[in-house]
Amino acid sequence: MQRRRRLDPLPYLLVAPVAIFIVGLALVPAVFTIVQSFYTVDELDPPTRLSGFHNFIQLWHNSSVLTSAANTGFYVLVGVALSTVLGIGMAVTLQRSFRGRSVVIAILILPWALPGVVEGILWTGIFDPNVGLLNNLVATLHLGSGNAVLLGHNRLLTITLIELVQVWQITPLSALLILAALQLIPGELYEAAEIDGAGPWRSFASVTLPLARAGIAVAVVQAVIATLNVFDQPYVLNGAALTGSSVTEQTYFISFQNLNFGQGYALSLLITVVTLVISLGVVRFIYKKVEL
Amino acid sequence: MTTRRLSTTPTRTAVIAALSGAALLLAACGGGSGSGSGGSSKTRGASITVALASDPPPASTLAAFTKQTGIKVKWVNIDWDSLQTKISAAATAKTYFADATDVDWSRVGQLQKLGWFYPMEDYVNTASLKSDMPQLASFTVNGHVVGIPYDASYMVTTVNKKMFGQAGIKTMPTTINQYTSDLKQLQAKGIAKHPLNIPFAAAEGLSTYWYETTNAFGGGVLDSNDKPLFSTPGSPGYKAAQWMVSAMRSGLVPPGNINVTDSQGESTLMAKGLVASTFSDYSGLVGALYNDKSQSTVAGDVVYLPTPGVNGTAANLSNPDGIGIPKQAKYPKAAAEFIKWFTSANTQEQFSGLQGAGKAWSAFTLASHLSAVQKLATSGGLAGGQQLAQLLKTSKPVFPHGAPIWYPKFSNAVYTNLHAAATGSLSVDQAIKAISNAAKSLSSGS
Repeated sequence: MQRRRRLDPLPYLLVAPVAIFIVGLALVPAVFTIVQSFYTVDELDPPTRLSGFHNFIQLWHNSSVLTSAANTGFYVLVGVALSTVLGIGMAVTLQRSFRGRSVVIAILILPWALPGVVEGILWTGIFDPNVGLLNNLVATLHLGSGNAVLLGHNRLLTITLIELVQVWQITPLSALLILAALQLIPGELYEAAEIDGAGPWRSFASVTLPLARAGIAVAVVQAVIATLNVFDQPYVLNGAALTGSSVTEQTYFISFQNLNFGQGYALSLLITVVTLVISLGVVRFIYKKVEL
Repeated sequence: MTTRRLSTTPTRTAVIAALSGAALLLAACGGGSGSGSGGSSKTRGASITVALASDPPPASTLAAFTKQTGIKVKWVNIDWDSLQTKISAAATAKTYFADATDVDWSRVGQLQKLGWFYPMEDYVNTASLKSDMPQLASFTVNGHVVGIPYDASYMVTTVNKKMFGQAGIKTMPTTINQYTSDLKQLQAKGIAKHPLNIPFAAAEGLSTYWYETTNAFGGGVLDSNDKPLFSTPGSPGYKAAQWMVSAMRSGLVPPGNINVTDSQGESTLMAKGLVASTFSDYSGLVGALYNDKSQSTVAGDVVYLPTPGVNGTAANLSNPDGIGIPKQAKYPKAAAEFIKWFTSANTQEQFSGLQGAGKAWSAFTLASHLSAVQKLATSGGLAGGQQLAQLLKTSKPVFPHGAPIWYPKFSNAVYTNLHAAATGSLSVDQAIKAISNAAKSLSSGS
């Protein structure tokens, strides 16, 4: 008779604290959010009570949320596309070693290291129509009157500029993630491509891009998460105005200004679901494990 | 040699894991101290946390308070917006974060209804403060005092007298028509390309500017049932919105002000002489900002002006900051002792610099005690002091019946729609309708 193997508890015990910590700080709040989003949790309208899809229906009828969702869609499209293209460009530039490369990387990472609020304040000074750097430059170079209103008047211009500020922040991380993937590509592959007559563009298209797919996918996912959850830049640069507000800003207003936490939970849940769906799509279509 | 192995049965493992899990979950999700736990009545030897959106008062004054009462003070400076979020989050989660903290005038109705703060009349003789603290009314709802005002902020018109003089204006305007015509004269004579500062950024400052302008046009914002008083074109609120938007569109206001907040307008436009007047400015700023040569290029030029109204000067609306005791405070009684000291006339005189520079607090704008302001004005230590003391006497709350519990939603509707009207994406009529509908819907409870 085969003796039943005794379970060794030590590995489980060692892992337990971290696992429990993750469950406690991530999964429990997530489940709590999902459950509470189906309840009316309004500090000004107690008690907490089950209300089914009421919160979601209310959100659907909230014009501020819908406008902010459209703005956020724009942030995601422009932000992900630009940060990925620029990230690939920067990573390819930094792929080969050159004098001062580490200094360039250190400088490159600065915008990513700065808090979003600080960046918002910095760019507010640049875009300011009365005393801003950009307008002063335009006036100095006699390219215009130098008091153009860049933020707030025109919605498309406002969301474009806000997103450019965010791209400036998130691109360094994309570049570093892609660069890490590029570092794994053996130099022999480029040599072989060159022997086969491939030029720089062909090498890039046939060697670099396919083999960097894993890194690009991770960079795209982080860009999706960052742009879908953008808060600091629109809030600091454009306040609560609907010309630039994001869905995360609306979550903040609904939860902490209106104290309607149930609706806040529902909107957070929707943002999480959209983030998950897009991220899974990105992984499904771009990510490919590369065996070298 | 034998190695002793940890011998644990699967059942025991499960129990240990479950216990440690429960402990961690409690640590992660718990921490709440229950609703209004009552806290400790200890004062001497207590160490309290005071969270306000400013740097601490001079260490010597806090040390003197500790010596006198035996209460130690840990001062936490959190920016205003984050502090409001913190207050809501902590109260909702029934978690302690401070023993004394900010009570904003605009949230008084909400805070009273929610019961997040102890009624101050239980700790302080608020009735005796009324006569010397005109703005206590802004913190009183249904007979309960939610917080004690520690500064006397109210809205007041400021003008750059030098620029007005350069335009040939010798007599300061007392009516809004005269004021508008003077601004046009400043513009026509090229003294200022855009002479008027209105902060049109979609933020709270725009709402308060509209309330003050509405008051100048001779009316209020909400009636005693919290219904809108500004829906019809002839109403003061409607006219105020029209005046503000028209000033923007006609170029009296710099076009860039569409995204300028109140504090940005004060520091980058008014203090730099780029505009000649702010119709709804904050009391105390002449001394604290415009006369400060390190921040201003117009030192000595800016003066307070009794707010021009329809047929003469109008009263000023108050928007003071208060301090109260959250229900989750660990030492409510000690916090009350601190508040008594912090808001006393004597301490405010110290903060205002009347008892020596070493006790002056740079973050302090204007004392909430009339007697302290009058002393300061008499001593000459306050720019425009006599005038400020006079205006403080007649300052009144924005909402005479107390700010409604849904004020934050209403204010959001005010500033987003007025901002949209200024950008041209809405007409004034559409903006006012939207604000009015929001007020009607909120006051009817839907």
